[in-house]
Amino acid sequence: MRMVNFRLSYNARRVALALAVILVLGFLLLPGQLQTVFQTVGSPFGWIISWPLQAVAGIHDRIADVWSQYVALQGVEEDNRQLRREIDLLQEQNAQLRESAAATERLAALLEFKKQALPTLVAAQVIGRDTGNWYKTIILNKGTSDGLQSDQGVITPAGVVGRIVKTTSSTAVVLLLTDPNNAIAGLIQRTRDEGIIEGTTHGVARLKYIPLLSAARPGDRVVTSGLVGGFPRGLAIGTITRIDKEDEALFQSAEISPEVDPNRVEEVLVILPSSFPTEGERLGAPKPKS
Amino acid sequence: MKTLAYMALIAGIVSIQSVLLPHFSLWGAKPDLGFVAVCLIGLFGGELEGLLVGLAVGWAMSLFSAQDVLSAAIIKGTVGFIAGLAGRQVAYLSPVVLVLGLFVISCLIGLITPFALKLSAQQDLWWALWTIVLPQAALDAIIGGAVYWLISSHFRLEQWVSEYRL
Repeated sequence: MRMVNFRLSYNARRVALALAVILVLGFLLLPGQLQTVFQTVGSPFGWIISWPLQAVAGIHDRIADVWSQYVALQGVEEDNRQLRREIDLLQEQNAQLRESAAATERLAALLEFKKQALPTLVAAQVIGRDTGNWYKTIILNKGTSDGLQSDQGVITPAGVVGRIVKTTSSTAVVLLLTDPNNAIAGLIQRTRDEGIIEGTTHGVARLKYIPLLSAARPGDRVVTSGLVGGFPRGLAIGTITRIDKEDEALFQSAEISPEVDPNRVEEVLVILPSSFPTEGERLGAPKPKS
Repeated sequence: MKTLAYMALIAGIVSIQSVLLPHFSLWGAKPDLGFVAVCLIGLFGGELEGLLVGLAVGWAMSLFSAQDVLSAAIIKGTVGFIAGLAGRQVAYLSPVVLVLGLFVISCLIGLITPFALKLSAQQDLWWALWTIVLPQAALDAIIGGAVYWLISSHFRLEQWVSEYRL
């Protein structure tokens, strides 16, 4: 077996010790300031690293495309049949919803409700996942130079994906809905009960703080409430799969199966700030006097 | 030249870590190539090199993660520094000892990290141990051992380390 001799002198030991002490002291005394400095200085560095990252992501996507289009075609016929059945069902539902939308529009016009403006969206591609194991995030190929900032909401046409937590000039990190450290304001569509949606360690989400008297049940759809945090009202989040009521608890909670599978998402839409009115603005609430 | 080589290494590690490694996870946990690289650089290059490369790797990896910059940089820097210290104290190192050492250090760092990150209450120490710390440590140790074996079997590592440090 090959052995290596490590018993060697090293002159830079004192320098290393001094650097280590300075860093630990800085970390203890000025955590916030150091964080900002590191993040600001890191933005151009992140831009440089994003080039090899995008190159590797491009190669990975090409290989994945070749695999999915030419190799992994087993079961496509069955999928096709299933999808045709779903299309028929959805077309029928679509016709019913058009009727309901027309009726709602007529009633809203009668009541003089203000229309909800459509948010401005920026399309972005997913080029990677979190470099560590502690958070569930995806990396987007757009950053501050495209108008992306922290706390902006990220969606797909199917529903909510997550929230931007970090940006460089050309990339953005999105904390997924299913991460336990994420919290989004949600609303049960049928009962109109509001709560906070958190991710779980099992890869699903949980709606917390539902009132005890709520009639929520499995199968109810949950949407964004639009009260706080980067999302307009009414974006699909998921479907309730289980209601949990504990004895002597003040609230009940519900397990939610997210509408978007975060492991398969490839393209997303970022909601730009101030592009949609808050609930107060939408309903024409008077502004407080300054 | 060495700085450029390290920058290329860091860019490569970040790219592979975020794009390719999610496909090679063990029970949902992927190895930390940055940790392995910093340990080996600290062992062969000494404390200063381990510390500086550790800080740079932690910082670069945190730019593409929700983890805060400071904890990532400090943790990786500390790992590099400790690896450098260990490299000075250890007279002879076999691949088996290296694999065991990497496993133990990865476990220790993995157990400290949740406290530095202030994670959600759901992510307690028991959960962290079984779902992240142990699988990641196993993968780190295997990859580190493989890299060490590859380098030592193809290059004259003993001579290289001696010349490098002198």
